[in-house]
Amino acid sequence: MFIADIRKDFYEVVANQRVVLLVAPDIDALCACKILQALFHCDQIQYTLVPVTGWQELGTAFLEHKEQFRYFVLINCGANVDLLEMLQPDDDSIFFICDTHRPVDVVNVYNDTQIKLLIKQDDDLSVPSYDDIFRDEDEEGEDSGNESDEGSEPSGKRRRFDEGAVERRIERQRAKREWEARRREILFDYEQYEYHGTSAAMMFFELAWVLTKDTKDMLWWAIIGLTDQWVHDKITNMKYVTDIATMQRHVSRHNHRNEDEENSLSIDCMRISFEYDLRLTLYQHWSLYESIYNSCYTSCSFKLWTLNGQKKLQEFLADMGLPLKQVRQKFNSMDMSIKENLRDVIEESSNKYGMKDIRIQTFGVHFGFKNRFLASDMVHATAALLESAEKDDSETDNFIKALDALSRCAKETKFTLQRLNLLTFPLKMSSFFFLLFSLCRSNIDRLHSGIALAKKKLIAIQQTVASCICTNLILSQGPFLYCYLMEGTPDVKLFSKPMALTLLCKYLLKAFVHSTRNKRCKLLPLVMAAPKDVEKGTVIVVGIPPESETSDKKNFFGRAFEKAAESTSSRTLHDHFDTSIIELKTEDRSKFLDALITLLS
Amino acid sequence: MFCEKAIELIRELHRMSDGQLPAFNEDGLRQVLQEMEALYEQNQSDVNEAKSEGRAKLIPSIKLRHCCLLRNQRCVTAYLYDRLLRIRALRWEYGSVLPANVRFHMCAEEWFSQYKKSLASFMRSLGGNEGLDITQDMKPPKSLYIEVRCLKDHGEFEIDDGTVILLKKNSQHFLPRWKCEQLIRQGVLEHVVS
Repeated sequence: MFIADIRKDFYEVVANQRVVLLVAPDIDALCACKILQALFHCDQIQYTLVPVTGWQELGTAFLEHKEQFRYFVLINCGANVDLLEMLQPDDDSIFFICDTHRPVDVVNVYNDTQIKLLIKQDDDLSVPSYDDIFRDEDEEGEDSGNESDEGSEPSGKRRRFDEGAVERRIERQRAKREWEARRREILFDYEQYEYHGTSAAMMFFELAWVLTKDTKDMLWWAIIGLTDQWVHDKITNMKYVTDIATMQRHVSRHNHRNEDEENSLSIDCMRISFEYDLRLTLYQHWSLYESIYNSCYTSCSFKLWTLNGQKKLQEFLADMGLPLKQVRQKFNSMDMSIKENLRDVIEESSNKYGMKDIRIQTFGVHFGFKNRFLASDMVHATAALLESAEKDDSETDNFIKALDALSRCAKETKFTLQRLNLLTFPLKMSSFFFLLFSLCRSNIDRLHSGIALAKKKLIAIQQTVASCICTNLILSQGPFLYCYLMEGTPDVKLFSKPMALTLLCKYLLKAFVHSTRNKRCKLLPLVMAAPKDVEKGTVIVVGIPPESETSDKKNFFGRAFEKAAESTSSRTLHDHFDTSIIELKTEDRSKFLDALITLLS
Repeated sequence: MFCEKAIELIRELHRMSDGQLPAFNEDGLRQVLQEMEALYEQNQSDVNEAKSEGRAKLIPSIKLRHCCLLRNQRCVTAYLYDRLLRIRALRWEYGSVLPANVRFHMCAEEWFSQYKKSLASFMRSLGGNEGLDITQDMKPPKSLYIEVRCLKDHGEFEIDDGTVILLKKNSQHFLPRWKCEQLIRQGVLEHVVS
């Protein structure tokens, strides 16, 4: 059931209890998790945090912890599936689900005891009403009772009643069949399209605000969660703008102290500011040229995979009067005179080249003299850390690294704590501080390494997109477009991860739409496959909705994949929380594809 | 020269940085005591001679030897007292059961166990019926609970109120500080500051 008052029905319920947090591997979930952790620290609510990457891990984690814990909080997982059936919990386990995946499964909505949904009842939920789906069992009992009576004693007297009873029975059965058919139809319509709702991080920030325990850190995490939804194309533009406005109110509320000249904050404090900034990814941590070259929006508008496109880019830069030498060096080292009006200059020029939306509303943070980040920078850095394809790190290691990168303070290692305990005798102060500083590693370093990884990822995406378009790897299969990344493609390891592959998919579709002349192809969705594990022989398949300005981002591939897999009995693994991402055995690829084509045409 | 052995003992302790306990230098101590005995014998005989024969010339040497004796005594007591203080610190550092590598160097087991006993009875006498463990939280803690991250699979871990926590690699927990300190020292958990 939906929770009406998040403070009373969620926070005060878990206030003196111990909770398990099961967190999905996406940035929004990470941010929501950090906000919730900060709240729990304030109120000393004991918890255990377990990262889960798919349904199987969710099940395992639940089994491991169900003896010791009663309350489970699921972040960005669990709403779109019948949780009680999947996990088979005891009657006293209670689940609090804060998930952006829609549609919410009807069982989760109408279960009053064990499932509590921390989801706002937005307009876009459109849950079917109770009577349409669930029917009381009593009526069926009556039917069968009557039938057995009539079946056992057919005598003359009863004949008259028989006819009436038989008619009524037939009537009831017909009504039941009709009702069931309608139910199937309603459920099919409801569950057909998968989409995303309000960010989980924003939900938890609202909880913090209601408790008046919100801080700037939490606000920043909420902003990052929202920006993640926008960067990975999960919500519509309208929703993004509306949510930004909500966040802007909070930001101005937190910022009012800055304006007071006498009591201004120190430079080390965190300051969040609203920016109407350029849509160039990571441009402040890169060179302007690289950023324009590797950002999806600009690269698709200029068509930078063609020679013509590159010439246009040079023209564009010349039009703005930016010398190449300046533009190719690190952004921080560009001349101040160029940097001053950069945004306006770029906006003016890009309007001439047909890029009307080069600027986007977003937020930036800065603390200390060196550290300035935009929300999208943080999202890209953390996403790159979360999905880094290094051999030694397991997925939970990456999760921990990404979680660390979101915090601001210097990290204290366990060794430091040990040494502090041993230092009960007075040592000379200088050696003490030397020890302390040499053992601390700042989380900002981790963030910077994330930014470096993100740059590599973006360059890889750009190159893969260019090669796919130039070699015509995207084929139209009728109802959708299809692209398969061969094993030998450079950087294909990066694309064995779901978020990176989805990003590549979206860029590719956008680029394709800009490059093709076929009007019909522009309206098609895209299915993309990439090798996931060479030893096991699996591929990862992702489907995204068609690209358009006013798209509502509703994805029907989840159900389509399921049905296609069933009908061809392909060996698939529907493990991800996003149902439009599956794993498939390489051998079954072609028959799966054929089934999908027949299904959708 | 007199008193050199005694200074050796002191230097040995001074060389070892604070907190470490070198092996008990029985040899050195015995040598110092022997020296003291020799000095004392000589002094005795000289005093008797001076008294009986009235030779005042012996008085300075008697005085010298006496000073050396006092110096040796002071050095030896300083040595023993400093070792005592270090052993006491071990109790506060490691708890009542010392790890094997530390116990190797100690010879004053008796004193240590006596000290343990008196500390325990003192702690029991505080704080009403249950007693108060004053060896925890030597510095006032910032918070009662800390966030820890599990570095290796440690299995199940029980807290004071009976609840059991499963310590799996890379899971994070928010637990009472005093329960975690032991595991942090062992390297199973890592304190996370955020």
